[in-house]
This record gives sequence, structure tokens and C-alpha cells, in this order.
Amino acid sequence: MTVMTETMDAQTGPAANAGVPLLRLDNVGHVYGTGEGAHVALEGLTAEIPQGQFTSIVGPSGAGKTTLLRILSGLLEPTSGGVYLEGERISGVPEGMAMVFQDYSRSLLPWLSVAKNVVFPLKGGPTSKTEQKRLVAESLAAVGLTGFEDRYPWQLSGGMQQRVAIARALAYRPRLLLMDEPFASLDAQTRADLEDLVLRIRAQFNMTILFVTHDIDESVYLADRVLVLSKAPARLSEDIRVDLPEPRDQISTKEDQRFIQLRGHVARLIRIGGEPVEQ
Amino acid sequence: MTATAVARKPRIASHRPGWVRRYAAPVFVIVVLLLLWELAATVAPSPFFPAPSRIFVSAWKMFFTGPPEHLFLTPLMIENGLTTLLRMLIGFALGSVVGAILGIWSGLSQLFREVTNPVVEFLRSIPASATLPLFIILLGGDDGMRIAFVAYGVLWFVLINTALGVQSIHPTQIMMGRSFRLSRLRQILSIVLPAALPQMFAGLRIALSTSLIFAIISEFMVATNGIGYELINTQARFQFLSMWSWMLLLAVIGLLANVLLELVEARVLRWHRLFRNVGNE
Repeated sequence: MTVMTETMDAQTGPAANAGVPLLRLDNVGHVYGTGEGAHVALEGLTAEIPQGQFTSIVGPSGAGKTTLLRILSGLLEPTSGGVYLEGERISGVPEGMAMVFQDYSRSLLPWLSVAKNVVFPLKGGPTSKTEQKRLVAESLAAVGLTGFEDRYPWQLSGGMQQRVAIARALAYRPRLLLMDEPFASLDAQTRADLEDLVLRIRAQFNMTILFVTHDIDESVYLADRVLVLSKAPARLSEDIRVDLPEPRDQISTKEDQRFIQLRGHVARLIRIGGEPVEQ
Repeated sequence: MTATAVARKPRIASHRPGWVRRYAAPVFVIVVLLLLWELAATVAPSPFFPAPSRIFVSAWKMFFTGPPEHLFLTPLMIENGLTTLLRMLIGFALGSVVGAILGIWSGLSQLFREVTNPVVEFLRSIPASATLPLFIILLGGDDGMRIAFVAYGVLWFVLINTALGVQSIHPTQIMMGRSFRLSRLRQILSIVLPAALPQMFAGLRIALSTSLIFAIISEFMVATNGIGYELINTQARFQFLSMWSWMLLLAVIGLLANVLLELVEARVLRWHRLFRNVGNE
């Protein structure tokens, strides 16, 4: 409670938004169910995500990564603690946040064409028709799907479908892009292509991205920072800065000694279930 | 549903061209049956079974020899045929809307489903046609009662199929809508409804066929017009040729209604047909 009161005070100050991180997790915890059958999924997660950062979240399977992402997206209310977007405690899905789901075949609507899927979240909003058209064209161009506007998503390959989902998120112009194991069901080559695509659009649109994955190489390759979760109940086991040179490259970055060190370190953390490692 | 789904999948290759199996062969069967009937009626004439040729001629004269300004419909056809058609269609539309709304509600809310399920199962197990006397007591003998009766009779098919369709929607689809801050109404109209539509149409097809049945049944009691009324009337007056003509008219209405609904479905669910052909589901 004390923590929360302090935050409230900070917000009322004159320079309230000056040093405020884009996203702040304050002692976030989540328990499913009650009584004896209760399952503690998350416990005491605290972190700050500054504007523009690419953050990966990795953890052993069943570590509550999906629970965490649902809480961050406002789809799920945490049972303790709070999440703050630009200093404001979120309750329900906040504005300016877009999500890319793992299951692209479900998250895209099969009765809408590619272009209509991309424009879907903008419909009924304040964006004008002309602006909507521009955003759709620009987003599809950014993911390399110009010319596929009138296809149905299920007429495309898995990788292309996930590109449509990414384009939809881009057209929404989010301040924060959440990605929930977006490439987990794609083959290795497609996956590598899409990883580089995400790095490109991140630079192009200057976005803040939170990327949940269970793939250690992917988490290190993409991110400025890796948050490693321990096994359930998930706590933050380590917050790792990724100081690899930019731009990243699928071959040379992965040959880099530093990359090999980092991935080894994350892998060890995950193997032992996220307990701190003696170094 | 299963039957249609199976029927639409590619079957063992046939060496006959598609049109033979789809149109020529069924028409051939109908023609043969009609000829047999014609032959039987000529060899052993019976006032109860007039020859089909006489029924067709009689139906034509009774219904389609009116003045041009009435689109050649006879007063008899307008007074009874169109009346029944209107009762059927309004009842169908009303029942479908109510069924769809309740079905969506029941598909989305487990609480609503659990609370209403016993009532739905109970009411559904009473043959709807047996409730006509009750409808007459409650609502009287006018058009409103007949429309309400038809609507009541058909709404269950739409309700149950819609609820099943809504329940089978993948949670990710709903979550996607929520993650883009869609209002509850927009979630329902632009995600839940289209996703449930293929299953809903299965219910609508049954509802449309049965709406004609219930419209006719509603005209068996305290009626002054309508095809059902005329059927009872012509039977009581031993006008069997007219009775058969009314039945022929019913067959034509039923067929046309089904064809129209199929055209609507083909248009609305074009994506779904293609989707299934790609090998999904």
C-alpha cells in the first residue's frame, strides 16, 4: 500500500511524466483460484520498461509468461500489485497497446480479407477513411505484403499470416507492442526472416516492444534486455542487458562471443528453473 | 451438419459428368414417378387421386390466371396463398431474430446458459404444434397470433444452433477483439456473429422449412383464410382436385424458399465455402 501511495504523490507533481518509464510493473502477482487449489502463477514482479526498449521475457515452460503478458495487456487483472503505463495504473485494456498472438490462424478473422483484417481495429475509431487506407498500405508495405490486400488470411502461409497480424498491430500505431510467442509455430527459416522483420519495423516505427518467447537464442538475438522468469511461481530471476552490436545479423551476431556467453547464461538460468547462478 | 459436411468433401471420382448426377438424374426420377402416377390415375380413375396433369392445370387456373395488374395472381391466391406466405416469412424472421439474440446470449454467458437450459429443454420437448390451442386462448385468432405461433415454433432451431456456434468460437478471437478495445457490442457484431454464422445457417435452414409447416398448422384452427384453411375447406367439400392444387402450391413455396435461402447463404458464407475447400476444419 505504501508503494502505491507514493506513486500517486509522484503523479501529482509538476514534472509528473518527465522521468516516468513507459511501463512499470510494481510488485505484480497473480493467483489462480482460491483455497487449497490455488495456483500462484506470478509473485512480486517489479520492473521498468523505458520508451523505445526491446525487452524479451523468457522462462521455463509453465512459468506464467502468458499470464504476465495478459496482465501487461490489461486483459487480466493482477491479484496483487499493479501495472502502470506512462505513470497511470492500467485497469482494463489501455489505449495505445497492441498485441500479436501466437495463434495467428485464430487471431486473424477468416471472413475478412487481409486489408480488412488490418483495418479492423481502426473501424469505428476516430481515424478518417483516407488515413485508414494510408495506414493499411503503409503497414502492409512494412511487412512486405503489398499486393495481398484482397486475399483471405487462410490462403497465405503461416509466416505470411503472422505478417498480417503484425501489420494489423502496426496500423494501430501502438506505443507498446506486446508479442506472445509470435513465431513459436513457424519453421526455422520463416522464423529467422520474421525476427529480422520485427527488428526492421522496430527501427522504422521507433516502437517499444515486449516479446515473450521460450526460445533462448531468439530472446537474446532480438532484445536490448532479457527478463528471465523463474519456474512457477514466477519471479524475476535476472534482468540481463544485451550489449550486442547493432544492427543484428542472423549469422554474425550469433557467432559473436558475447552472444554465445549471453545465451549460455540464460540457458543455465532456465535449466535450473531460474534460481540465481553462482558466477 | 455432419451429413452436409461429408457430402461437400470430394468423393470417389465418378466417370459421369457432374451435371448428370446433379440435375439430369434427379429430374429423370421425378418424371418417371409422375408418369407412373399419371398412368395409374388414367387406368384406375379415383376422385381422391387426380392425375398430376389435371392438378397442374387446376393449380395454374386457380392461382395464376389473374389480372396483369396483380402480376396474374388470382384473388384466391392473394387472399390465401400470399397471406400464408406472409405469416410464414414474418414468423420466420421474428423467430430467427429472437432465437439469434437468445442464442448469442446463451453462447456467451455460461450463467445464462445454465439458468435457462432446463426451461429451453422443457419447452422444446413440447411439440410446438400442440401449443396452438394455447396460443389461440392467449392471443386470439388474428394474424398476430399465427405469426407468434410460427415464431415460437422456429426459434428453437436458431437458438440452439447459434448457441453452439458461439460456444465454439476460439477464445483467441474474442481476446483479439478485447485487446483492440472493441466495445462489447462491436465484439458481438463483428466477431461473435460472423464466426457463428455458418452454424447459425444450419438452424435457419430448418427454421425456414418448419415455418411453412407451422404457418399451415396455425390455419387449421379458427382461421378464415390461408392455405391451411383452404386445405381443410376443400377436403370438407370433397373438392379433391383443389385440395391437391393447394398442396402443389405449398411444395412450390417450400422449394422456392429453400432455394432463396441457399442463395443468400452462398453469398454471405462465400468465405466459408472457400475456407473449407482449402482443407481447414
